[in-house]
Amino acid sequence: MSSAADVQPLGTGGGRQRAGRPFLSRVLDSKLFLRLLTLAIVAAIWQWYAVSANALLIPTFDGTVVAFFELFVDPEFWEAVWVSNQSMVIGFAFTILAGIPLGLLMGRYRAAEAFTDVYINILLVTPMAAIIPLIIMAIGFGLEARVLLVVLFAIPMVIVNCRAGVRQVDPTLIEMAQSFGATERSVWWRILLPGAMPAVMTGIRIGLSRSLTAMVVIELLLVAVGLGGLIINFRGQFNAEGLYAVVVFVVFEALVLITVARWLERRLVPWASEGALSQS
Amino acid sequence: MIEIRGLSKSFAGRRRGRSGVQALEDVNLTIEDNEFLTVLGPSGCGKTTLLRCIAGLVSWDEGEILIDGKQIRGPGPERAMVFQSIALMPWATILRNVTFGLELRGVSRSQAEPRARELIELVGLKGFETAMPFELSGGMQQRVGLARALAVEPQVLLMDEPFGALDEQTRRLLQEELLQIWEHRRTTVVFITHSMEEAVLLGDRVVLMSARPGKIEEIVPVPMPRPRSEHIDTVEGSADMHRITQQLWGRLREWQVDVGKARGVAAAS
Repeated sequence: MSSAADVQPLGTGGGRQRAGRPFLSRVLDSKLFLRLLTLAIVAAIWQWYAVSANALLIPTFDGTVVAFFELFVDPEFWEAVWVSNQSMVIGFAFTILAGIPLGLLMGRYRAAEAFTDVYINILLVTPMAAIIPLIIMAIGFGLEARVLLVVLFAIPMVIVNCRAGVRQVDPTLIEMAQSFGATERSVWWRILLPGAMPAVMTGIRIGLSRSLTAMVVIELLLVAVGLGGLIINFRGQFNAEGLYAVVVFVVFEALVLITVARWLERRLVPWASEGALSQS
Repeated sequence: MIEIRGLSKSFAGRRRGRSGVQALEDVNLTIEDNEFLTVLGPSGCGKTTLLRCIAGLVSWDEGEILIDGKQIRGPGPERAMVFQSIALMPWATILRNVTFGLELRGVSRSQAEPRARELIELVGLKGFETAMPFELSGGMQQRVGLARALAVEPQVLLMDEPFGALDEQTRRLLQEELLQIWEHRRTTVVFITHSMEEAVLLGDRVVLMSARPGKIEEIVPVPMPRPRSEHIDTVEGSADMHRITQQLWGRLREWQVDVGKARGVAAAS
């Protein structure tokens, strides 16, 4: 957070020539500065293009920003956020609760793998959008359908990563534990679970972003409620600023959730990044 | 005392119709209490398989292994193993790695930790208790592996080419320290190696194994005086050491030549 303060004076424009000063060079090298710089460049190009194109469906950058803040005081918008996230939260929770144990078991036991492998592969290769009509026909337009889609989108990633996590645990570690008299239960708690943890966290992160995708995709394609419904409405009204603002919000939510997941990952499995090198 | 009688083990062939590999054939061996036994042989001679059988990690087809007259059926508290790949848990501190075996045997953390700290000091890693394995060099990691095995106070220490992956200097240092520790603690050690010098330097007897099928060819006594750790350099350069190493090499070369000839015949036909 200290870097946020460091960046302040840069709004006045710091030249590369003066980067010799330690404070400035540190700021210029900071990640946050580079990110803000990229954002500024994108915003400038966007603004320039929208103004020169002057088309109905291409909003200007400043117009989008205004619409974005207007959304925040609109109760209808928060209603949509609530409706959308309901399906995401329930679906993601189920994905975690069912996907992680299933994936872990598949990693260790051939029988579990034999039972489920085919279905996981089907889920992995099928374009999920193609399944949406099928789900709607089977269980209707309700919350259940949206939850189911979120699960179908997210769970294969969680399962596959957990399975890989258990498989990549060094077999001599298991043997080592057994040589000290470890039971299968101890092997799970002391070797397999901590060993698989980095991959499980990766699975959770990818599963989370897939859940978000699924949440928006089904609302856009078939069940026009929530944020997806809002996007469709704005499109109907030719409200380009509003439409862009909703999209920006979805991106923003995704970024926040992924950042939280990454932070959790670093807190829970700090050895994953450093240990990887020395283990090979 | 460890008695191995008529031990045989084969691995099933990978492909159908192919016969399996005879890893061990009729191995008979008696290991005395407090003996330092080294097992030497070319790669693929089943020496590691033999050790894993004694550790109780794998099953065998025929024969039996007795420790103090009792048949073994799996790992037991009187044995502890040191691995070539070291097998430290990358997510745990050095202290937690050393207490691992104790904790598995139901020793509480408050009791396990003082013992682990003692052993960490014994292997020369005092001050590294809270370090993570990836922060340590290979030699230091294997010291942790040794401390972890010693922590459970085994009667028998099973060592599977523990210094095989280390560089020459580190290996020498660890050989010396292992001798020192063993001279004080006097456990039985079964030490697998593919280095002739290491086998002679450390062992009371050297078991020579040949490959395909893996069997014991000869047991060579090493009548060099102990303790060896204090004047290890003189031991290394001694006439005894030279003579026994030459004797071992003579035998090993015979088989290499034989295998070479057999291969040549197979290729010609």
